[in-house]
Amino acid sequence: MKVRDFLRRDLTSVDRDTPLGQVIRLLEQSGHASLPVVDEEGRVIGVVSERDIIRALLPGYMDLLRSASFLPSLNQMAKKLREIAHLPVERFMTREVVACKPEDTDLHVADLMLRKGLKQIPVVDAAGRLVGVVRRIDLLSHL
Amino acid sequence: MILTVTPNPALDKFYWLATLPETLAPTEEGILIRAEKSLTSAGGKGINVSVFLAAHGVETVAMGFLAGHSGQIILRDLLARGVSANFVWIEGENRTNVALIVRGREYHPIHITEEGPWVTPEAVEIFLRKYERMLRRASFVVLAGHLAPGLGPDFYGELARRARAQGVKVVVHTGGEALLRTFPERPFLVKPDVREALRLGVLPVRTKEEILVAGKRAIQEGVELCLISHHLTGDVLISADGVWEFEARVPLSTFRNFVGADDALVGGILVGLAQGKDLLESVRYGMAAAVASAEVEEKFCLDKDRILAEMERVEVRRGGP
Repeated sequence: MKVRDFLRRDLTSVDRDTPLGQVIRLLEQSGHASLPVVDEEGRVIGVVSERDIIRALLPGYMDLLRSASFLPSLNQMAKKLREIAHLPVERFMTREVVACKPEDTDLHVADLMLRKGLKQIPVVDAAGRLVGVVRRIDLLSHL
Repeated sequence: MILTVTPNPALDKFYWLATLPETLAPTEEGILIRAEKSLTSAGGKGINVSVFLAAHGVETVAMGFLAGHSGQIILRDLLARGVSANFVWIEGENRTNVALIVRGREYHPIHITEEGPWVTPEAVEIFLRKYERMLRRASFVVLAGHLAPGLGPDFYGELARRARAQGVKVVVHTGGEALLRTFPERPFLVKPDVREALRLGVLPVRTKEEILVAGKRAIQEGVELCLISHHLTGDVLISADGVWEFEARVPLSTFRNFVGADDALVGGILVGLAQGKDLLESVRYGMAAAVASAEVEEKFCLDKDRILAEMERVEVRRGGP
């Protein structure tokens, strides 16, 4: 089966200069766990996920500790969020975009998701413009 | 691609009732009305046009403002119907519009409509950036339905202005001041919504003669084509080249649900044009789609064979002075 047969034609996205606070609000309102970031032509230039934002709020050494149990509270994260909420999302997004095309096969997308550990992949046209997304559940529900 | 804009989307709920209570006077127990059947679907004029287009295999993107739980249901329904969705999410809750349809008097439904969530200037700014971007992919843009609270009367005028600047043809399907403000931008087609007030601007459109006067005024003010309904099964198309009257020879007793029929009309015209039909044949297809939709309980008839069969009953003749 081709991606075009089961993609989710949801073009919800953010611009590169969208403030991080607005991105968090949009994630909450729309129910998405990640969003494509697009340029002026609608081409996908990045992806911002809840994980990217949480990583931006945690101290740098957390990656080494691999646990949040050393944090006394979330107050530091809240303070950090207030400091960076106005900054553009392009500073926090993942720039290495893993995307697929409408004519790709379901097997190709499943392989990408497994290898890269992704829950959602943007679907782009020949010009790199966003035409939808594929979530893991979209694949599962079409098996 | 055909872009549609629905500033105030709705969750449409239809209830079919065997009968209405004889009186709505207060009683001790309150009033209980049991529905025989109900249907829920994404609604709002532009959204309806997109649903119709997608069912005909015409690429379409729906835009507007979504909010809350009902916004999630609207989005889910649109995606399931093959419509691409590019909405701005805002605070609040999208409207739920209720239609009560009583058996035997389907042509007089009872409507309960909500106002819709407030659209902030910040949300408008985000919308306009998305809109400009989507216009680059569009051949037509359909501006349809009531404006949401917070949007000024020039909202559609501004959208029409931007579309015209990018060479995108504009179809306007709304009423009141919001419609009139698009006229200077020379829209391709206007389908005035006269459900609440039988007038176009200051001019009444109750009779065919009044429709001709109002339609010709719209043409003088910049509109290319003006399509006005003069009763349930008749429409008048007015252009600088002349007037055409369309009539569907259908008994009213066959109608089951009118909601969305005029959106099927607009959708049908656009399907016809997208398929390379000439203008008059496209309008005939639109009228056939509207009639076929009114004859089914669902909001739309999406059965192309049935619509084509209805075309046989739609007559067109040169009309007016």
